[in-house]
Order: sequence, then structure tokens, then C-alpha cells
Amino acid sequence: MSALCYLGFTGLLTALRERVTLFWTLLFPVLLFVLLSSIFGQVGEQGALRLNVAFVNLDRGADTGFAMAVETLFESLSVEGEDGRPPVFTLHRPVSDADPRRFLEDEQRALAYGRRAAVVVVPEGFSQEIGGALRRPGELAGKLHVHYSQGVPSSELAAGVIDQMLAELDRALLAQAGRFDEDLAVRTAIQWAGSEGHNVGYIDFLLPGVVLMAFFTTGLFGVPGAILYARDQRILRRYWVTPLSIPRYLAGFGLTILGMCVLQLTVLWPLGRFALGARVSFAAAWPAAYLALAAVTFLSFGFLVASLAKTANAGQAIANIINMPMLFLSGVFFPVADLPSVLQAMVYANPLTYLVDGLRTSLGVGAGQFAPWLTLAVPLGWISVSAVVTSRRLHWDVGR
Amino acid sequence: MKAFKALLRSELKVLLRDRTTLLLTFLLPLVFILIFGFVMGGEGGRDSSLGLVLTSNSDAQVLREVLAHQPSLHTVDFPDEDALLLALRDRRVDFGALWDGSTLTFVYDPGRVQDQPALTQVAQGITADFDLRRQGLDHVVYAQRFHVGREAAARWLNMTVPAIIAFSILSAGMFAVAGHITAMKERKILDRLTVSPMHPVSFLLAVVCVRMVVVYISTLITLFTSLAVFNVDLVVDWPRYTLFVAVATLGMMGLGALITLLVRRPSSAANLAEILAMGMMFLSGIFFPVEIMPGFLQTLSRALPLTYMAEALRYTTGVVDMPPHRFLAITATLASLAVVLLPALGRYVVRPQRR
Repeated sequence: MSALCYLGFTGLLTALRERVTLFWTLLFPVLLFVLLSSIFGQVGEQGALRLNVAFVNLDRGADTGFAMAVETLFESLSVEGEDGRPPVFTLHRPVSDADPRRFLEDEQRALAYGRRAAVVVVPEGFSQEIGGALRRPGELAGKLHVHYSQGVPSSELAAGVIDQMLAELDRALLAQAGRFDEDLAVRTAIQWAGSEGHNVGYIDFLLPGVVLMAFFTTGLFGVPGAILYARDQRILRRYWVTPLSIPRYLAGFGLTILGMCVLQLTVLWPLGRFALGARVSFAAAWPAAYLALAAVTFLSFGFLVASLAKTANAGQAIANIINMPMLFLSGVFFPVADLPSVLQAMVYANPLTYLVDGLRTSLGVGAGQFAPWLTLAVPLGWISVSAVVTSRRLHWDVGR
Repeated sequence: MKAFKALLRSELKVLLRDRTTLLLTFLLPLVFILIFGFVMGGEGGRDSSLGLVLTSNSDAQVLREVLAHQPSLHTVDFPDEDALLLALRDRRVDFGALWDGSTLTFVYDPGRVQDQPALTQVAQGITADFDLRRQGLDHVVYAQRFHVGREAAARWLNMTVPAIIAFSILSAGMFAVAGHITAMKERKILDRLTVSPMHPVSFLLAVVCVRMVVVYISTLITLFTSLAVFNVDLVVDWPRYTLFVAVATLGMMGLGALITLLVRRPSSAANLAEILAMGMMFLSGIFFPVEIMPGFLQTLSRALPLTYMAEALRYTTGVVDMPPHRFLAITATLASLAVVLLPALGRYVVRPQRR
């Protein structure tokens, strides 16, 4: 037993001494986790983005009170609020003596080139239209023209924020006119399906995914890389002239991979919990069971890839080709739905799909898509298939 | 010239025998396109679906009318909350709404947190409209939207296909030097070649020519597959596209040369190139738009060549607008990378390996 532990420990130390291995197994998951959480963890939150918005007021008639009110509203959102609320917009307006129509043309070009998120125009007669609609119900409402680039996220976001601002202004104007009763306003609430009532952030969704991705890349790249390289370089041949048997070598190698997985979890979990605000806890029976199952599944999957490749280079090429499809067709980073049947079949055959689903459910991050027994049975099935194929196909020595 | 032709032939043979490089050059971009095309909206933008449960008839008709008037939303009725939760779990609906006569509860799937901002905006629109309609009121002010820019930019996949092509150029260009030439150096093949009458410039020229043709063919395969499978709306400006792919490949070979010259061991160049390529893939707005990144990442993104390559390829494929002088500036910068760095590689080819 101590020989096995020693073999596992030596393997782990050897792996950690290689800077490339260290990068892909530890640093890359950490960087990806921080990157994705800083991009998607705050999307939609006020202050997460500061949107470049141009504003032109073309309503220059006698009665321009409502146009001025809208202008003031945009100004207030382009400076820090008294309550410390960060500004939402960086507002671009024509200088006092500039031709507003010329300014509008320039800003629309800037929007087309992606330098503005939106261009807001208060059209002529805007205040009159609002006044009319307030005095005489059924009259045409005031229309604020919002030029934006459909499909461009910052632009879509800016248009959404403006919609929300105008909805609030709408209610305030109607309430001021005595037509909207605030007491009769609809009460709203939010409920999270399958999450025992608590709000789940993207970090909670992402953390189990990144942990499994780290385990997966360790198995997929680590096993074929180490085994096939050692075989090609005739290092394994030297082992076989010692009393070490193949099963004992395998057990020691398995301990190395499992040790690496433990190390990855030890780095990623505290990072998510203390630095990025994740609330999920892996310190429970079911999450721990899923993590252990994942580590063993990917270890055996790595052996399956190794048994299909003739050389270390071919093993790395196979791993490179299947890495992305398996990661992205599993819901590790983004949910997968509405796929054509071929890709749907790949999703359903992918062990990562079930492990991610089972782990997230056990952590309380949403209702699982699959029955719990299935999330255990499919990975176990992959372990069995991999074991059979590996035992029949993997050669432990060159030219053997 | 005869020697150059022989070098061209041999370089082509080497490439065609190298199944790993062929797989990564031709297959990887296709895998990216197929996966992302289907997973992230290859079929084009679709309506959001809302599961509705009404446990009270009070104002239920008003709510139905409000929902019917929401743009890009279709409503599916469910008899009770359990049925709605089941549909959410199976992803048959995007989100849900429960109306009990006094409270409108929106139900979200925590597994779709990245869709949350868009779904929240739809929910806010529903609430605002319902609020007014319940009291028999109409809007007195609202936003009328006008789309500016190319229509093609509105589709995620139209933006992504040129960006994936840019990544494949970056990857193939860098690895042509940081993978292929360094491997020849490591295996001492270059040392043997330098004692032959072969001129290092002829050798480099042969590598450059073969890689440029292979990269161009690979980008065409990716482009036509996207057009055939996903019907992407790309209008390619062929002269600009061809010019840019050629210059970008050269520029990326220049970058590969820089990496090669900076590292001590030839084999480290491939590792460093792989790490850089992966970092740039995530930071250059290929999969996640640059504008939704935090400020410091946006600054970092602006320092990466892949950001500009993706931008220029989107321009040459008719997805986005760009001032012509900007396109010229990007192309000229990449060309300068090649002009400055590739000659240094000639010296590397003939230089004895550092111990």
C-alpha cells in the first residue's frame, strides 16, 4: 500500500514540476473561472457596465417640459447617485452651438461602428404628444426614438435600460395626473425553480462546471499524455523489468490523477467561495460522491483515448478534437437545448452531461434534468466500457 | 527556383503526412462552428417562451392580452405550479409566471442564469404593461426602436463565424513557426539542412507559401460549411478577404517567430503559443462580446491582435461596418509584424541550437 501511495505521490510531484501541466490543470481552470465570472457574473447588474449613449433633444417648440424631464432623467443616470449608485450611461450630447441634426448623423455612424450603445432622440412635438395623451386618454403617446444595434449586447442592454426608465416615467406621469393608483399596482415576486427558495447566482452555476471541467481535462489530456509518452519514450519498459506489475502501476497512476483532482478542488472551491461569492458547498455526501465518480469516470475515459491512439501525439490530437465538443455539449458553461438530433444524441451520450446535472442538483443549483439514477448509471457505464476497451486495446510497451 | 520548387513539394508532403496538424487546421474550426452554431443559436434568434399558471380569474383576461402583445414572446398554459416547474426543468419553457389575483410571481430556472438579464427585461415589460392595463390606462410615453447598422450583425452566428476563422488563422500561423519549425529545430533537421546548399530564405518562403495556401483553403471550407449548414448572412468582399487572410497568416507567423525567439527551448514555443492562443480566444470577443466584459478585460482585449483580426474579418464578410482607414491600419500592422519578425526567423533557422 505504501508503495502505491509513493508511486501516486511521485507522479503528482512530477506533474506539478512541469510548468505546462501546472498551467493547464491548475492555472487555466482558475483563469477561466475568474474570467467567466467577471464577464457573466455581473451582466445586467447596475454599474457592471457603463454604456456609451448619445442624446439629442430636437423638441424645440413652445412647450418642452416633458422633453426636458426626459433629458434630466438621462443626466441623472450619467452621474453617481446620492446613494452611491454607479452611473449607467456615459452621455454624449451636442455642444451648445452645434447643429443637432449633424450631431445625430455622426452619432448614428458611431453606433454603426460600435462606438455607441444607443442614440436617443427626443423628436419634435414629443412634449405636446405626452401632454395630449395625459389630457385626453386614447391620444397617441409620446415616442422617444431609440436607435440601437440589434443583437449587439451593449446595445440591447442600453435599449432595455431605456425601456425600463420610460416605464417608470410613464407610471410617474400618470400618477401625477391622478390617473394611476399606486395602491393598485401589481405586486411582483421572484421564485427560483428547484433551489429551495434561494437565489442562485451565475458563480454557483459555474463553480461545479469549472471543477468538472478541470477534472475532465486532467483525465482527457493527463492520462494519454503521460501513459503514451512514457510508452513511446520506453520509460514504461523500464518499469516492467522491476517487480512492479501493470495493475499496481495503474493503481499508482490512478492515485496521481485523483490527487490532482483533489488539488484542483482545493484551489477552485475556496476561490469561488471566498473571492467570487459562490454559496454552494461540496462538503456533503452527494456532492462528494459525484466528484469522486467524475474523477474515476474521466480517469477511465483518458485510458479509453490512450487505447485508441498509436502515439502520444495522436493521443493529444484526439483529446484536442473531442475536448471542446464534450465540454460545450454538456452544459458545463451554458445550458444546451433545442439541438438537432445528432448533437442531442451526443449530449445524451456524454458522461459530463450527467455528472454536471447530478452535481448541480446535489448542490441545490436548480432542478436536475435527469433522474438521479441516470446521472450515476451513465458515468458508471462509461467506466465499464472504457475498462473493457482499455484492457483489450492498450499496449503497455512499444511493439509489444 | 528549382530548389525552391523542391522545397515547396517537400513542405507540402510533410504537411499532408502530419495528420495532427491537418486535423487541427481543417477540423477544429469546423467543430467550433458546428458546436457553437447549434448550441448558441445557429437557427437564429427565437422567441422566449413563458409558462403561465393562473390560479385566479381576477384580471386573468387582461394579463393574457398583455402577454399576447409582448414582442418575441409566446405563452404556454399550465394547469398548476408543478407542471410549470416540470416544463422549466425539461427546458420546454424559458421562464414562468404565476398569477394568483394579487401577486405576479416570475419563476426562473437557476440553470439559465446567463439568460437572466434578458428574461428579467421581458418580465419588467410585462409587469409595466399589466400595471397600466389593469387600471384601464395606455402608455403616455414609450420608446420606439430603430435598428442601425448591418442587419447581419444582429445574428450571433454571423458575428462568430468570421471570428472563428480569425482564430484558425492565428492558430495555424503561429503554430507553423512555433510548432512546425521549432520541432524541426528540436529534431536537428534544420541543422542538417543548413549544411546543404539550401538558403534559409528559400526554406522559409516554402513554409510560408504552403501554410498560406492551406490556411486560405481551411478558411474557405469553414466559410462554405457555415453558409451551407447555418445559412449565415455573409457577403464576402473577396479581394479584401483574400488580402486580409494572406496578410493575417503572415502576421501570425511573425508572432510565432517572436515567441520562438523569446523562449529558451524550441519545444517551449509550442506550449507558449498554445497558452497565448487559448487566452486570446477567450479575451478577443470571439465567443463573448468585448463590450460586456469588465473595463480591465476590455483594455486587455484591445491589446490583442485577434480582437482586430476578428473585427477586420467581420468587415470583409459584410457583417459589420468599419471605416476603410481602420481596415487598412489593421492590415498594415499585421503586415509590419511579418516584415519585422520573419527575417529574424531566417537567422533562427541557421543559428545553432542554444544549450
